[in-house]
Amino acid sequence: MTETLTDRVSREGTTVAHTELKLEDESFLTDDFVRQLINVGEVDILVGLPTHNNARTICPIVRTIQSGILQAFPRERAVIINVDGGSRDGTPELVTGISIDDVRPASNLYALRTLPSISTRYASSPASGVSLRTILAAADLLRAKACVVISPESANVESEWISKLLRPIYRENFDLVTPTYRRHKFEGLLVTNLLYPMVRALYGMRIREAFAPEFGFSSRLGSQFLGQNNWHDGSDGAGIELRFTLAAVKAGYRIGQSFLGEKDRVQRHASDLVPALRQTVGTLFSVLESDFPAWNAVVGSQPIPTTGSEQEFLLEPMRINRKRLREMFSTGVAELESVFRTILSPATLVELQRIARLGEEEFRYSSELWVKTVYEFAASYRKSVISRDHIIQALAPLFRGRVFTFLMENRGGSANDVENNIEGLCLEFERLKPYLLEQWKSRE
Amino acid sequence: MREMIVSELTLAVDELARGFAHYLPRLIVMLILAFVGWIIAYLAKAVLRSILRLIKFDKLSENTGASQLLIKASLPSATEMLSRFVFWVVWLGFFMLGVSVLGILGLQDQIARFFLFLPRLFVAMFLMFFGLLAASFFSRAALLAAVNANVPSPRVLSMTVRSIIIVFVLSIVFEELGLAEQTMLVAFGIAFGALMLALAIAFGIGGRDLAQSFLEKKFVRGRKEENEDELSPL
Amino acid sequence: MPVNPDVLWYKDAIIYQVHVRTFHDSNGDGIGDFQGLEERLDYLQELGVNAIWLMPFFPSPLRDDGYDIADYRGVHASYGTLDDFRKVLDSAHQRGLRVIIELVLNHSSDQHPWFQEARSSQNNPRRDWYVWSDTEARYKGTRIIFLDTETSNWAWDPTSKSFYWHRFFSHQPDLNYDNPAVREEIWDVMKFWLEMGVDGFRLDAVPYLVEREGTNCENLPETHNILKELRRKLDEQFPGRMLLAEANQWPADLRPYFGDGDEFHMAFHFPLMPRMFMALKLEDRKPITEILHQTPEIPPSCQWSLFLRNHDELTLEMVTDIERDYMYDMYAESKMMRLNLGIRRRLAPLLSNDRRRIELMNGMLMSLPGTPIIYYGDEIGMGDNIGLGDRNGVRTPMQWSGGWNSGFSVAKAESLVAPLIQDPVYGYPAVNVVSQSESEHSLLHWMQRIISVRTSTGVFGRGAIEFLYPANHRILAYLRRLGKETVLVVNNLSSSAQAVELDLQRYKGNILIEMFGNNLFPRVGELPYLLTMGPYQFYWFRLRRV
Repeated sequence: MTETLTDRVSREGTTVAHTELKLEDESFLTDDFVRQLINVGEVDILVGLPTHNNARTICPIVRTIQSGILQAFPRERAVIINVDGGSRDGTPELVTGISIDDVRPASNLYALRTLPSISTRYASSPASGVSLRTILAAADLLRAKACVVISPESANVESEWISKLLRPIYRENFDLVTPTYRRHKFEGLLVTNLLYPMVRALYGMRIREAFAPEFGFSSRLGSQFLGQNNWHDGSDGAGIELRFTLAAVKAGYRIGQSFLGEKDRVQRHASDLVPALRQTVGTLFSVLESDFPAWNAVVGSQPIPTTGSEQEFLLEPMRINRKRLREMFSTGVAELESVFRTILSPATLVELQRIARLGEEEFRYSSELWVKTVYEFAASYRKSVISRDHIIQALAPLFRGRVFTFLMENRGGSANDVENNIEGLCLEFERLKPYLLEQWKSRE
Repeated sequence: MREMIVSELTLAVDELARGFAHYLPRLIVMLILAFVGWIIAYLAKAVLRSILRLIKFDKLSENTGASQLLIKASLPSATEMLSRFVFWVVWLGFFMLGVSVLGILGLQDQIARFFLFLPRLFVAMFLMFFGLLAASFFSRAALLAAVNANVPSPRVLSMTVRSIIIVFVLSIVFEELGLAEQTMLVAFGIAFGALMLALAIAFGIGGRDLAQSFLEKKFVRGRKEENEDELSPL
Repeated sequence: MPVNPDVLWYKDAIIYQVHVRTFHDSNGDGIGDFQGLEERLDYLQELGVNAIWLMPFFPSPLRDDGYDIADYRGVHASYGTLDDFRKVLDSAHQRGLRVIIELVLNHSSDQHPWFQEARSSQNNPRRDWYVWSDTEARYKGTRIIFLDTETSNWAWDPTSKSFYWHRFFSHQPDLNYDNPAVREEIWDVMKFWLEMGVDGFRLDAVPYLVEREGTNCENLPETHNILKELRRKLDEQFPGRMLLAEANQWPADLRPYFGDGDEFHMAFHFPLMPRMFMALKLEDRKPITEILHQTPEIPPSCQWSLFLRNHDELTLEMVTDIERDYMYDMYAESKMMRLNLGIRRRLAPLLSNDRRRIELMNGMLMSLPGTPIIYYGDEIGMGDNIGLGDRNGVRTPMQWSGGWNSGFSVAKAESLVAPLIQDPVYGYPAVNVVSQSESEHSLLHWMQRIISVRTSTGVFGRGAIEFLYPANHRILAYLRRLGKETVLVVNNLSSSAQAVELDLQRYKGNILIEMFGNNLFPRVGELPYLLTMGPYQFYWFRLRRV
């Protein structure tokens, strides 16, 4: 249907206010990429696809994305932008090779118009900060109204994800859409036991996955973040997704979440915990200082509009080495005493040492103790009592102890029980927020 | 005879008086220099202390872990220490200058050598400071890594790392100070080499069983891990 | 005959489609006639066209604007006499204009004497000239073409108490081509006109000639055989005359109508036309290049016929459902504009009276491979009146001047065959031949210019086409080649300025000469050839190596 002039003004009016792209930002895009962008021209929908050596799975994923776009937005101008971090297996060529246009032989997908797939190499090794920055710059230059980032690490990408993450942005004026998943109740405990409750308690919004590999965002938010984020802070941008979400929260953008379905269980090892902590908790702690004005006065939390379920749990039994978790906790508490002494308050440390001595049956890392632990870590991080990276590493054994307690408490529970327990933990984080503020000030 | 003694005495007293009269002005100059030096040193200490407080040197040194060391050694804060050190060096410098005025021959050379020695002293202290810093940082890093990787005896590993680094730093410091340079270096080399050899022997021959069980534990544990579901934190 | 005797004249033709009854009225009865047409042949000659296609002018009850023929060898009284027609034929030929007339083969009017006889009784000798059945069960599943008005392909005849077959309106019974008498008679009809001097026939509704049980009753082999037979006779007795097929089918199904050069000379490329409009709205060349890819090669003596609009609705039969919905939403927001799976609007209103878009579409019409057909009135940008029923909104009187009845007729306004367009934008005071002839930069003058450039070279009508695929998908670029002559055509389908880099490496060293101004453009070098283009702009370049 034709839109009236007023429709277009009100739709475009809000996007005109986006920050003008600074010259220094533009220059980090390669000439070849800029030429490709010129040829693509203005688009309505942009899909960012960061890759690194994904040749094995990338073609079906791109086809799925294409079919998702064609189903949900058949008439809109769209583009798939692959930002590649130095693949050596030909991933970028595979992506551009299945572009939908009149040069290549027709695929099974029927498309009203050209749906280009273009690619650029942003670095010789993956760096999520640079890849997101490239995507944001491209979205800004192409004036894309709604954008989504899809990670090819999620092997079970579905075409509906495009609609679920973009429709609220394109048609309902949302600025950020984060995903929610169906997971096994014991997966993603770093999210359910730390990230989600802490972001919720501090920033006042119940965003379940503030650090997610796939999310949708509007041009307003993208352009603002592109212009205002400090891209040259020396880190390669690990955890940039979390920064992005928190920036949106801070600036009062409209945030929603969409249920995407089952989160693919990527095979990981226990040794992946420290890098995960660095990316998530490290990032969170590092923004707390600058975000202080935004979160210190917030009390309680608000739910955000959600399409589909907020969280679903799979309950099938899992064989987990619980004993090892508890042992690593106890060993950690014992061996790292000197480190903990500089980070934790004496009372907390004593309590931790006490429970470390308990047997498996009596062991319990209570919610309150865990919350206090996390808050004290946050305050110490701010002061940099020791190297910040070491503070993060020191959290790992304590987290394992918490995981153990979570496993024990939710052993036989139904999905509802698990959800209630998580909700209880969140409320504890909210209740003890004054404690954080106290710790924050006391270390001044 | 009495006259001779008297005249000798008179001569001796005369000489003494003359010598005294000769040195007296210099002594007075020396005392003045010492006094002036004390004032200047005091001022320098005060100025430095203010500057260090301004740049929050205490905080910086806290980060490096040096403060903790000082606290443990019941020493005053880093700012204070550094200020006092500067005070003593400056004052000592002036004192030395004063003594040099006295014109005592051998002393001149020693004083000159003292002043030449000062820069190396500073460098050595600098090296020591950062060496201790590095030792503290890396030993803690090793500790955390070992704990998180579930390696047995993490503290031992941490201590080992710290010791190695400290020994290395000490040997460099001694070399810088010019004290028994070669000896220190050689001693360090021997110690380090010996450690490596010991470990090799332990793993190769004598501690075969120990090494074996250690490796077994590592591998077997690894296999057992594979049979269980691993939790993904995100 | 002063006309070029070349048997492939239709490849160089620019055809002007005109309906006598709405062109010019000479006798003041409010209805256009042949004499009026003759008076306006000079205008057509000046325009630069070299062939006219006359819509049906046979005696007819006019329930389908003349496509329901009641006498195949006559002229409707309102339009004049057979002599009047002969005069037009001669005058046209003198001016170098060829004349193509229509022949509706598939069906006749139910007022035709043949049908009157056939229906009178079941034993009448003409009974078999039409297709009868006692039940509606025969040929079940055959699609209905006029969906908005008909519910079945069978109609009940109360006189002979049986059903008769009609693929179109129920008052247009289908002739039975299985009957050799019918086939002979039709050839006789054609011969009648050919002997008079007519240069070609547009044969209407040819896919539906023959029906067979268990098929979709379209494009059957028997139909093709009949058509081949007609062609054979034509070539024997009247070489140099042309047959143009009206068959609204996918390109692959259209191909058989050319046979091996032994069936039709020309056929309309129906599927291309809506895709040109679609590409313009999408600002993406994909629909055009794709359909032309799917277009099969045709025999060397054959030619596609291209058009932007015609007397019918802009048909959306040969597009997918998604495409149809898109076209409806973009071009026919009001349901009143939609008819029978199509859009009944003229060219200028479809393009929002945007002069640039009108030029671009005409530019593509004139440069894509095929013979272009201009619908009367589109050369001055006439508007439409969708309030008139059926497809009559695009069949309003030709607007000659801003004066009385727009110079179409001296009769009173109420007697006019159709009401004139009167609105301030498209009405005859604003859009007419006289004022456009006075104005230097009018659409009319522009059309004259582009026609003259087009006819200055044979490359457009007879040359091969090779698409370039620049990375900017808003640009449609192709090369037309005939012998040593090469023309580069670049079209900007976007409403905004564009930059495009063309890979012309094979033509390195050639100078580009822009064909409208004859100015030189930079020589093709090592690098991709950069062109910057304004909104909806197009270029025709002659490639010349000195």
